[in-house]
Amino acid sequence: MTGEPQRNVNGVGLRRLVHEVRELAFGERTSYASGRLTVSQEAARALVVDPALAEVRLACAAPGDPVRIVGALDAVQPCSKGPGGGGVFPGFLGPALPPGRGETHVLRGAAVLAAGYLPRAQEAVIDMFGPAAPLSPLACTHNLVVEFERADGAAWEDVEAAVRRGLLRVAVHLADAALDAEPDSVEELPAPGADPSGRPRVGVVTNLQTQGKFKDVFVYGRSLSGGLPTVISPNELDDGAVVSGQYGHPALKNPTYLHQTHPVVAALRVRDDLCLAALVLCPEPIEQGAKELVSAHAARLCAELGLDAAIVTKEGGGNADADVSLKLDRLEEEGIAAVGIFAEMAGRDGTGPPLVVPPSRATAMVSVGNYDERLSLPACERALGGDRLALLDRPATDALELPAAAIYCALSPLGWGRLTCHEAA
Amino acid sequence: MKVVHYLNQFFAGIGGEDAAGTGPELRDGPVGPGRRLAALLGDEHEIVATAVCGDDHAAASSEFASALVEQARAQGAELLVAGPAFTSGRYGLACARIVSAATADGMPALAAMHPDNPGLAEAAGTVVVESGATAREMGPSLERLAAAVRKVAAGEALTAQDGRVGPVARSNRLAERSAAERAVALLLARLGGDREATEIPLPAFDQVTPAAPVGDPAEAVFALLTEGGFVPAGNPDRLESARATKWIRVSLEGRESAEAGTFESVHGGFSTQWANADPNRILPLDAARELEREGAIGGLHGEYFATTGNGTTVADARRFGVEWAAELRQAGIQAAILTAT
Repeated sequence: MTGEPQRNVNGVGLRRLVHEVRELAFGERTSYASGRLTVSQEAARALVVDPALAEVRLACAAPGDPVRIVGALDAVQPCSKGPGGGGVFPGFLGPALPPGRGETHVLRGAAVLAAGYLPRAQEAVIDMFGPAAPLSPLACTHNLVVEFERADGAAWEDVEAAVRRGLLRVAVHLADAALDAEPDSVEELPAPGADPSGRPRVGVVTNLQTQGKFKDVFVYGRSLSGGLPTVISPNELDDGAVVSGQYGHPALKNPTYLHQTHPVVAALRVRDDLCLAALVLCPEPIEQGAKELVSAHAARLCAELGLDAAIVTKEGGGNADADVSLKLDRLEEEGIAAVGIFAEMAGRDGTGPPLVVPPSRATAMVSVGNYDERLSLPACERALGGDRLALLDRPATDALELPAAAIYCALSPLGWGRLTCHEAA
Repeated sequence: MKVVHYLNQFFAGIGGEDAAGTGPELRDGPVGPGRRLAALLGDEHEIVATAVCGDDHAAASSEFASALVEQARAQGAELLVAGPAFTSGRYGLACARIVSAATADGMPALAAMHPDNPGLAEAAGTVVVESGATAREMGPSLERLAAAVRKVAAGEALTAQDGRVGPVARSNRLAERSAAERAVALLLARLGGDREATEIPLPAFDQVTPAAPVGDPAEAVFALLTEGGFVPAGNPDRLESARATKWIRVSLEGRESAEAGTFESVHGGFSTQWANADPNRILPLDAARELEREGAIGGLHGEYFATTGNGTTVADARRFGVEWAAELRQAGIQAAILTAT
């Protein structure tokens, strides 16, 4: 695709070979053909097994199945850059070096999803059917669900690391099965850089939660905690440069799957009238002074990159609003048009103030809905991830009333969903 | 129509802050600003009684409202009107509560307060009309309230034209396009020079003026407060770990320190491992007792208040603040240390 290696990074893009998954089932060996993904339980389980885990179970959940997944943790889109597993998920499976060039095979419509208990994980629910299904990106995918039990005496940090590594390995294993298949589509993703067309240069500023164990996100396998914003190619996301280890805020969570398929990046890639110029990754510090520094620094980076406009995203609830608002204000001060994606926290009846920390200068905000509003979920036949919903202390298959806040990615701060808020007429 | 009018202790002529703990009572006929309101209402409506409660009492114990509504019913009341409360937070909260109680009881009711009054957030589902910011604007505020009372008594709906204010409910629905696509559309509008386009109207936040410093700490009684999800071991009051809708009070009598195993944090927003290893680091009871022994502070309040500041709505947090302030004022506390996590 690229011919001679180029010194100019602007010519180096990523070719995405897309294999659609329309069916998922267990079989003797892992294979992919004409939309059907077959998974060898033995092979997949062997990739997750770890001394920290007493037991690993696998299950399939397809869109429309009468299945509820409770305790949903991270989810990963299967992808591979070729046999051996290197190249994707740098810092975990391959060396910690920037990916995002060459070719990547992805299984679109499939995901590997962990479900179970971890400390500090707030219980996240996915209904594969019914009224909550349209709210969750992982209700739209054919999911290989990984359930696990902790080994006696194993540290929870080791359990979490084993599950995360296992998910990534299985994701590569599944995509490896499609390496020889004819792709359904081939997508050329140019690297960002100088754009002679004069189109407005737009950046995506994505805040990653950095609140310690079980609430952290990894870039090349490392936390941004304590650091400053950094600029990477959006194409690195497709190769798993950003991996989630953040299990709080079910509805406001950004699992690895949504970093790989970053909805704002995707929405900008298809525009002919805008140039996707940069991806700025920022930590979400817990101290006000650090929030101010990171925000001011991110805005300066955007100015140095010559951006005309930027869309700012976050992860998590209340205090993460400040990270978006401060950045919007600093960007506007730099003369960069800024749009923020926010969730509203307006109480059950939707009458409370929607934002914890609103911007003081910027005004352009997208609402992904009110996370306190409740919805009723019907009973179902089968639950994965646990027998009970600890949140309500009820059998997981019961009919439930839950706030939108408990539905996995229902208010995706990366902009996946269609949920929004309106004033009642 | 027979009307009962609600006033706080100050406007009822009982007294100022010293009388803010006064319990609920019903007095015959109009009182204070109620006399002017009665005159504005004319012959068609009669203020048969005035319901009164001290602001601290009303903010600390919401039961006053249903008790007064019941007494008003006994006096034959057909409509309840409260205020104007201007920008007074506890008074506004009291007006919101009694109007909510009357509305829930099926009695037409309305209150008057300034749009910045924190009590307005409590008034969801009820009728509130705008008043001025201070009692200097009593005259025009009563005129607007009287006009609103006549409309409510006639069974008509009040609108923004009548000065109706209050929380507007926003509800979830599915848009045509994803949030990411809408963000790009908003960005294009913004690049096109549209500075107004947004999906979230900017909320107005009130500015809090800090209280004057404590004159002599050695003379002051201190209270310990926390939003750290700090509970007795086992969480007997079932304080929420996130999205708290309540706060708890816990006795500190006879306790010198918050020992591990006696207290814990149920906060869902941070790792509680270290907090539980030494609970004093969330609620500094050990240090406060030491200061008390040294005489550096005059004393320590016999109980602490706690909630969980994790995804808590601003409306609930604001209510906790008004209630805590009223409680502490009633208990004669001069200073409070609120630990944040």
